[in-house]
Amino acid sequence: MSFTDADLIARVLSREDQHAFGELVRRYQSPVRAFLARLARGDAHLADDLAQETFVKAWRKLQTYRGSAKFSTWLFGIAYNEFRTVARQRKELALEDVEEPAAEPAKSAADSRSDLRLDLTEALEELHSNERAAIVLCCQNGLTHEEAAQVLDCPVGTVKTNVLRGKEKLRRRLPDYQHL
Amino acid sequence: MNQPEENDSLDVLLREQNPHIDDDGFTGRVLAALPRRHRAWLRPIFLLVVTAVGSALAIRWLPWENLSVPDLSALLSLNSQVLLPWLLVLSVTATLTWAIMAAAQWED
Repeated sequence: MSFTDADLIARVLSREDQHAFGELVRRYQSPVRAFLARLARGDAHLADDLAQETFVKAWRKLQTYRGSAKFSTWLFGIAYNEFRTVARQRKELALEDVEEPAAEPAKSAADSRSDLRLDLTEALEELHSNERAAIVLCCQNGLTHEEAAQVLDCPVGTVKTNVLRGKEKLRRRLPDYQHL
Repeated sequence: MNQPEENDSLDVLLREQNPHIDDDGFTGRVLAALPRRHRAWLRPIFLLVVTAVGSALAIRWLPWENLSVPDLSALLSLNSQVLLPWLLVLSVTATLTWAIMAAAQWED
């Protein structure tokens, strides 16, 4: 029998059921860790620390989850706040405005898919953190612009702009993606 | 509402290359790090009870016999015999009001 998120949340709140919370963690650990790894530019260790703190905070604050947004959206919001806090502490935000690298010469169509995965990862890392977060949430995790705006605590228009701008930069940096 | 553009190969690429991360003990580490959850209503109730007991004790020891409606000249003279009991009453009232508001707005 498969419980819905709402069932599991109710069990956690009424019985402090750690097994129910464990099931929620298992369901969402991958997207949350992947999101944080993208934000942390591939630093898996930092991403996992932030993800762990995200779920511990979710456990503490679960009674404030109103159910008006999807549980995953609520988790992404906590995760993004954790990242922002650490980024501010490490003064990494100042390093986010990286220079745009010059476009590399087009690769041959025979490049392997694994090369492309690497290229995509690198191209995402070169985006501004706001663009990267918007792209990962909307294009990889299927959040609506409204949900992403809620996660990133910014206007919907800003999310749309960041998605468009980020995708435009990715297209310039991944000239071969069209040939797949 | 945004919908992924089905024919946009960049959208397809991004969806395909969204990495799945194996749990690999992560859930266990999270569960081991969970603090004991406090019931949401427990702390505001505790705050109210402690404040109510403190206020009751303060009221018990208030110098009620010295409480009289002061006239303006007594207030202006800053006579401690007149002002002190009223300051105590005001303090107790303010503390109780603050505790009730804090308990009502309590968020973990």
